[in-house]
Amino acid sequence: MSEKRSIQSLGATIAASALILGAPIAAHSASDGPELKHTTVLSDLENPWDMAFLSDGAMLFTEKCKGLSIRLPNGNVNHLLGMNGTEGYASTADDLVCAGQAGMNGVAVDPDFAENRTIYVYSASTISDLRTNRVLRLKLNEELTDVSGRTDIVKDIPYKQEATDHPFGDSGAHNGGRIRFNPDDGYLYVTTGDNHNSQLPQSGGSLGGKVLRIDADGKGAPDNADATPEGFDPRIYTYGHRNVQGITFHPETGQPYVTEHGPWHSDEVNALVAGGNSGWDPRPNMAGRGDCPDNYCGYMPNQNEGMDPDERRKFMPITDTATYPDAMKPVWGNNGLSQGISSGVFLTGEQWGDWNGQLAVSFLGIGFGGTPVGQRINLLDLSEDGASVRNVVEMPVPTGAMRYRSLVQAPNGDLYAAVDEGQIYRIQPQ
Amino acid sequence: MKTPILWAVAAVLAIGMSHAQAADESAGETLYSSNCAQCHGPKAKGMASFPSLAGRDAEYLSSRLEQYRAGEKVGANSGLMIPNAKNLSDDDIANLAAYISSNFQ
Repeated sequence: MSEKRSIQSLGATIAASALILGAPIAAHSASDGPELKHTTVLSDLENPWDMAFLSDGAMLFTEKCKGLSIRLPNGNVNHLLGMNGTEGYASTADDLVCAGQAGMNGVAVDPDFAENRTIYVYSASTISDLRTNRVLRLKLNEELTDVSGRTDIVKDIPYKQEATDHPFGDSGAHNGGRIRFNPDDGYLYVTTGDNHNSQLPQSGGSLGGKVLRIDADGKGAPDNADATPEGFDPRIYTYGHRNVQGITFHPETGQPYVTEHGPWHSDEVNALVAGGNSGWDPRPNMAGRGDCPDNYCGYMPNQNEGMDPDERRKFMPITDTATYPDAMKPVWGNNGLSQGISSGVFLTGEQWGDWNGQLAVSFLGIGFGGTPVGQRINLLDLSEDGASVRNVVEMPVPTGAMRYRSLVQAPNGDLYAAVDEGQIYRIQPQ
Repeated sequence: MKTPILWAVAAVLAIGMSHAQAADESAGETLYSSNCAQCHGPKAKGMASFPSLAGRDAEYLSSRLEQYRAGEKVGANSGLMIPNAKNLSDDDIANLAAYISSNFQ
């Protein structure tokens, strides 16, 4: 199944969005991009969360509460590693569980896969006394039918154990979960979340609210510790994050770029530097704030009612440069709105025309307190130094508005998008 | 001969009332598509941290929506549901409950 959507209709959509926003027009013209078509490659999935490609186009994919599967180039699907309570998988791991935003999240392929057949997944697990998120290293067999040799290379990424009095306050919340190898340095980057625990983001002893940079055995990259404050866990690359669900690497410089969910305001794209502090610190009784529900100020001053996002930003900034003057400044802040920024990937290849080299970012959409829902994919044209955004357009996504969870580029340059509704789409320039 | 007229009036009133109380699934579908599907999913089976509504009966759905409309906290996503339910009329709630319970098992 495939269909096209005209650029003209996008223009109308953008104009309407801009009117609703009553804010500076975020998206200009998409006319410089290619016309797109899309194909539904998988449907009826349960919360597909991430994808990773082998060089021949075979696609590993995760479903949050089911497990890891692979779609072969001929379209057949093999179910590899199932979670607790699943059936029909070649292997099952009863310790792998899901709740709320947690479950089986990211998947990555080792850069030396052709030699070592190694892949990685990020999943919640019950092995430890308290649930944690783990990064599992697995071997994929030659037939692409099963995995073996599980080694948990990271075992102690915090997981939210119990519900709290916050929006999205169930257990498993703010769970991060994207994992990607940086082609530039060969390390595995792991994004985590703050679990609605205000102590985690600025704590050097916890892996929550961080981006980790590790090797294939789970050891920190040697220069992490040179860049982070004294006493930090050596696996930490950057800290002071809220809930990072997207990471990608600049195609020319290799610099990591993350997408970070905003606190009822200001979704962010951040360009990371080793040892950087992203400036998130939702602890009560600091920076002018008093007590907060369950000791977490992350949605205050008024967590259950709509209010001007700019007023929220002043009270509880996602990047607190007053408290942390050296914090990494965001490359982009979604015009001060929080709409569920979920994933990012640099598009590369001449088939993408003027979008070649631009950063595609996806949104789940959150309609709260007068903020437009905003389900979409944006293309960010970065400045020469990569520190700011020159222009933003909305991709005229031929799939229509969806809860876009993951964007991944296939080896041939096609863009794949997973949506919470249960589909994975291939999006191609015409 | 007042009695037949009274009966006729009573019958008309009864029919009118039953029509007024019958839920309009089509209106419920319109509301669901524009206000609910983005989180609960096109088939109401839930997405991400938003719960499934499939298999819930109309009474349960109405009761929850009435609680949210009244500003009561029920579960971790109350902060999202209360503003969404705030402006629903009784008919809106009945229509939504009828549509969801009849179409998503």
